[in-house]
Amino acid sequence: MTRIAIEARDLQLAYQRKTILNHLNLAVPEGAVLGLVGRNGAGKSTLMRCLTGLVKPTQGSCRIGGYPSQDLADEVRERLGVVAQTPDLFEWLTGEQHFEQIGTMYRDWQHDRARALAAQLDLPLLTPARALSLGDQQKLAVVLALGHDPDWLLLDEPVASLDPVARRAFMRALFDRVEREDPRTVIISSHLLSDLERVVSHVAFMRQGRIQLMDAWDVLAEQVRCVQGPEAPPPDCVLAQTADGRWIVDLRRAPPGMQGEAMNLEDLFEGLNA
Amino acid sequence: MHMNFSIAPSDPTPIYRQIVDQVRRQMAGGQLRPGMELPSVRALAQQHAINPMTVSKAYSLLESEGLLERRRGMGMVVAGQGAHRAVDPERLLAPLLQALVRQAAELGLPPETLHRLIDQTLDNTSDRETP
Repeated sequence: MTRIAIEARDLQLAYQRKTILNHLNLAVPEGAVLGLVGRNGAGKSTLMRCLTGLVKPTQGSCRIGGYPSQDLADEVRERLGVVAQTPDLFEWLTGEQHFEQIGTMYRDWQHDRARALAAQLDLPLLTPARALSLGDQQKLAVVLALGHDPDWLLLDEPVASLDPVARRAFMRALFDRVEREDPRTVIISSHLLSDLERVVSHVAFMRQGRIQLMDAWDVLAEQVRCVQGPEAPPPDCVLAQTADGRWIVDLRRAPPGMQGEAMNLEDLFEGLNA
Repeated sequence: MHMNFSIAPSDPTPIYRQIVDQVRRQMAGGQLRPGMELPSVRALAQQHAINPMTVSKAYSLLESEGLLERRRGMGMVVAGQGAHRAVDPERLLAPLLQALVRQAAELGLPPETLHRLIDQTLDNTSDRETP
């Protein structure tokens, strides 16, 4: 079996008496590119922050590469790349200066690699961060997260402000890595679902602090169907009911011969959040 | 090697399936001939900004069906003789026919009407093609 690279077990987090994460479980296989999707406020960013050890859950635990997220040693942290929703930059430093600062922190930092990636993304490196557009700030954050060729990459809405050309370049960069034995494991949250469909191996649908549905995206695309009445399908196989009263059905649990319409990521997202 | 794949991410058909179907169609249509080399996994993934594992999956599936062969030093090539028989034109039409039958049923058209419509369409098409 594939090893689990990133894991959350019975994760709970309450903030000001509001439940943000609700007994959440997640297991991301090594080498997966997991698309984390859900509506605003579903808890995606909080989950990412728990996984990287930035936020301490009220209950439950997270692991990265088998190490507890709350207590990552420096040599483990070096193998992690993170892009937060708001780019985390020193606004008075240029891209090049960021490289120098970051380079001293990571053993595997590769200046040339970072420069090449910046060129692919069309990111100016001699402008102070505060003078960059939001899109360029995001690009810089992405380059900084990828410059040390991380084993685990967690990206929270990394491309929201990028134009379509830059987004393509970014998606290519996700798979561009120095030959290693271990494949890179990626979690990426985004509302740009057709972009995600290009790159994900797995998708996790998140709603109200829980993972509602997670599987390989090819499997979901082939096994989940939207079924029209009149009769309700057996409850065992129903994942959700759409706003217009149709049923989202997992064919693997449905009686044989059941037919319905195939759904893309956007259809399924909408249906699961009706 | 040059090959025109089109990838539609928002299509409910998974991307690996889209690649498999296109290779099959291009083999059936003769654009892909035995011995022709396919783009490398990396090149195709980079070109379309898709996950290389998706391309690998498509190629492996086609290899397991005998349509492609892994050749040393070259990558994937279209398999020789036997492979062409593996591409069954009737099977390639099956999904379209199934969709047609389903939609006809949704419209409440009885099978006889569907037969008649298909015959009519065939007639009209052949009329147009005969000078």
